[in-house]
Amino acid sequence: MLQLVVAGLTVGSGYALVALGIHIILRATRTINFAQGEFVILGGLLAYGAVTWLHANVWTGLALATLLGFGIGLAYERFVLRPAARAGELAVTIASVGTVYVLLYGHALIWGSLPQPLPYFSGGAQDVKWRAFGAEIAAQQAWVLGLLLLALAVLYLFFERTTYGKAVRAASNNPLGARLIGIDVDRARAVSVGIAIALAAFGGTLIGPITLVGGAAGIGISIKGFVGAILGGLDSPVGCTLGGLVVGVVEKLLEGQAGYGISDPVVYSLLLVMLIVRPQGLFGSRRAVRD
Amino acid sequence: MNRDLRDDGRILPFAALLVVAFGILARGDANLMQAGTFAAIDAVAAIGLGVLLGNVAQISLGQAGFFGVGAYALAYLTTAVTWPASVPLWLQFVAGTAAGTLLAALFGLVLGLIALRFKGHYLAMATLAFGLIAAGVFRATAALGGASGIANIPYAQFGALSISGVPAFWYAWGMAAVVASLTFNLLRGRTGRAFEAIRNDELAAETIGVPTRRFKIVAFTYAGALAGFAGSFYGSYLGLIEPGGVSVNFSIDLLLMVVLGGAGRISGAILGATIVGLTNIYGHNLENWRPVVYGILVIAIVIAFPRGLIGIVPRRRDAKAAPAPDSPGPAAASPALARLRVDLPADAEWLVVEHAVKRFGGLVAVNDVGFALERGKLTSLIGPNGAGKTTLFNAICGIGRVTSGRVLVAGRDVTAWQPHRIAALGVGRSFQNARLFGEMTVLENVVAGAFRAESASFASDLLALPASRRSGALAGDLARDALARLGLEALSGARARDLAFGDRRRVELARAIAARPGLLLVDEPAAGLNASERARLRDDLLRLRDDGITLLLIEHDMRLVMDVSDRVMVLKLGSLIADGAPARVRDDPQVIAAYLGTGV
Repeated sequence: MLQLVVAGLTVGSGYALVALGIHIILRATRTINFAQGEFVILGGLLAYGAVTWLHANVWTGLALATLLGFGIGLAYERFVLRPAARAGELAVTIASVGTVYVLLYGHALIWGSLPQPLPYFSGGAQDVKWRAFGAEIAAQQAWVLGLLLLALAVLYLFFERTTYGKAVRAASNNPLGARLIGIDVDRARAVSVGIAIALAAFGGTLIGPITLVGGAAGIGISIKGFVGAILGGLDSPVGCTLGGLVVGVVEKLLEGQAGYGISDPVVYSLLLVMLIVRPQGLFGSRRAVRD
Repeated sequence: MNRDLRDDGRILPFAALLVVAFGILARGDANLMQAGTFAAIDAVAAIGLGVLLGNVAQISLGQAGFFGVGAYALAYLTTAVTWPASVPLWLQFVAGTAAGTLLAALFGLVLGLIALRFKGHYLAMATLAFGLIAAGVFRATAALGGASGIANIPYAQFGALSISGVPAFWYAWGMAAVVASLTFNLLRGRTGRAFEAIRNDELAAETIGVPTRRFKIVAFTYAGALAGFAGSFYGSYLGLIEPGGVSVNFSIDLLLMVVLGGAGRISGAILGATIVGLTNIYGHNLENWRPVVYGILVIAIVIAFPRGLIGIVPRRRDAKAAPAPDSPGPAAASPALARLRVDLPADAEWLVVEHAVKRFGGLVAVNDVGFALERGKLTSLIGPNGAGKTTLFNAICGIGRVTSGRVLVAGRDVTAWQPHRIAALGVGRSFQNARLFGEMTVLENVVAGAFRAESASFASDLLALPASRRSGALAGDLARDALARLGLEALSGARARDLAFGDRRRVELARAIAARPGLLLVDEPAAGLNASERARLRDDLLRLRDDGITLLLIEHDMRLVMDVSDRVMVLKLGSLIADGAPARVRDDPQVIAAYLGTGV
């Protein structure tokens, strides 16, 4: 049981990062990025590419994937989301769905359609394991949780403590007002999307050694991240993080108790149930749901 | 009938000829026949999604789920169920198809009911979740064959004719032709007009009496039914249905087809499905390239070319004059018009507001306001900016409900009603910023305004029954009459968003009176008008009053107010401070203070 919870928290960390990314992009551009999960896969594969092609170690791969993720996010905002936004909200949604295909089949062109293994952060091909409280905890799982906390801390410091982070938030909350006081709203938006995609790439690399990277998992990751965001509250970063973790734990518990076939439909049903019962999520405000 | 639909009416027969030519020329090539058959099956599902996406502006990422429901229903009924020997094979197929279509429609209805509580991205996510759940359920259900699905589904069999190979091509395109015609009928009728209004401006659609939620659910159900219809034939044609065939990717494929071809166009959905279907033949060599290219194309299209590939076909220039009315003379004597009249009970008034309070958080925007309008009179509601006039209007129309108090329209308590139900009682309104349906012509706008008078049902629209045409003709007559009353006939063919500001105002007024309202709420009609436009507005208002319409007017132009009003009410900071004949109100010291401030 505890074993399953630990495993759940690990994959849940990935969902939490996706949920946070969806939240950040939603705040900045008022759209749900359906391609968020594909960017997770892409990030993991970029790290894998660094390891296999450049013979870099996985830490360099992590740094590289995160940085490239940021750059790709800037480009994504500039060349897909921003121009599509001029054609309306529906157009942005469709463009992000189109991006799913570009990434999903695009990475298969480069890396093939089978998932690839990333090396563990400590121990290479074999992961180090500890025993605690009757459960076995792998070093990678500890890394995932630790680095998730690190990422959250960095995000918090950026958005709450730096002037530029505050400017980016201002641009999301009130674009017109922000523009009037001299904030470059377009650039702030691009930075928001860049951060969200960097988070996705970071998460993809973290989880990669456990789940393998590649294949068609991206859509599932997107929607589970979204389930997490809905669960916690789309407009609450804390809620998104916790929601993502909860989804991971629920998924692993269901897999452990009822088998693989059941867990996904149940998790997806959770989304519909939440939408019906409490669309604002556990931590969100009612206002966010309509309009 | 709007421009897109007119163009489709021109393109579709031509497309049918192309399909027939293809079917004859390629009949010897099994690969081409198969690709063509799949294209037709996809086209049926894509037409449904196209209505949803292009005509009602609602997205669905779960159409594969409905498709799967249709396919599995037919597969189950024709394989797992033991039919009595007396039931012929063709009847089994027909029953399977009907069951698949109806079941998918039912799922569409339920999903619509759930998902339409939300807007935009929540809706997209909910539909995506539905598709994933459906695929998961198919995979997990032993009775449906689990992960390997249901195999050995028999071909449809009509006598000696087995619907496979070349006959399947013709059958599938026959389906597509029927669906295209039905959809064409639907969009041409009352349902299509409601869709068009919703797509242009939901709030304005509500205030002319369109039950927007109901029509969105209709669109969801229709799209679900078509996906199920397509899916049921897919199962029988392929002989096999497995969960992988109805995965999320297929939902995305359908979306791409619609966007690629042109959302909101029947011909666009068919074109998109055909392109995707035919390029499928080379699928194996281009396995991953194809979807990458689709993805890029779709992004490029939504950004640069929102009308899709079908938009390349040049439009025929619009006919100069509006088409002549297709029914003789004015409809004044028409019995259908009698339905429009709401008979006021002798003891009721058009509008009674009792102790209305509206709070926004701590702010009290309307504070214990009560009044009754006398029928046939023009009453003005004036007051400084922020006095709560528009808030009160919205509360009367059902757009923003009062916090406490009651609103009675024609003797009925409408406090908690939705705007379209209040409109249906015979209440028209105009907005401060003239919310016309921008993409529609002036005539189409005003025809939409006559929606309340229309009576055609979904079925009669779908089958183009005489009732559908009568309904449209009545709306057309009412619209032309309304335009004539305000002297706007010359503008009929102009597109609303190209109009000058003053004209927009007048067209909105025409739209509001097209359904012959008993009560008309007009919000600052004179703002931004020049002197001659104001003079004309004055005449219009008086004429409407003389026609027997009870008017409530919000206006800042005091000369106009004092000139036309039978009674003036003054609102200040949410409270009524004066109420009476114009001359008396003008001299009321409180009113003077409210407008000019008091001396120290």
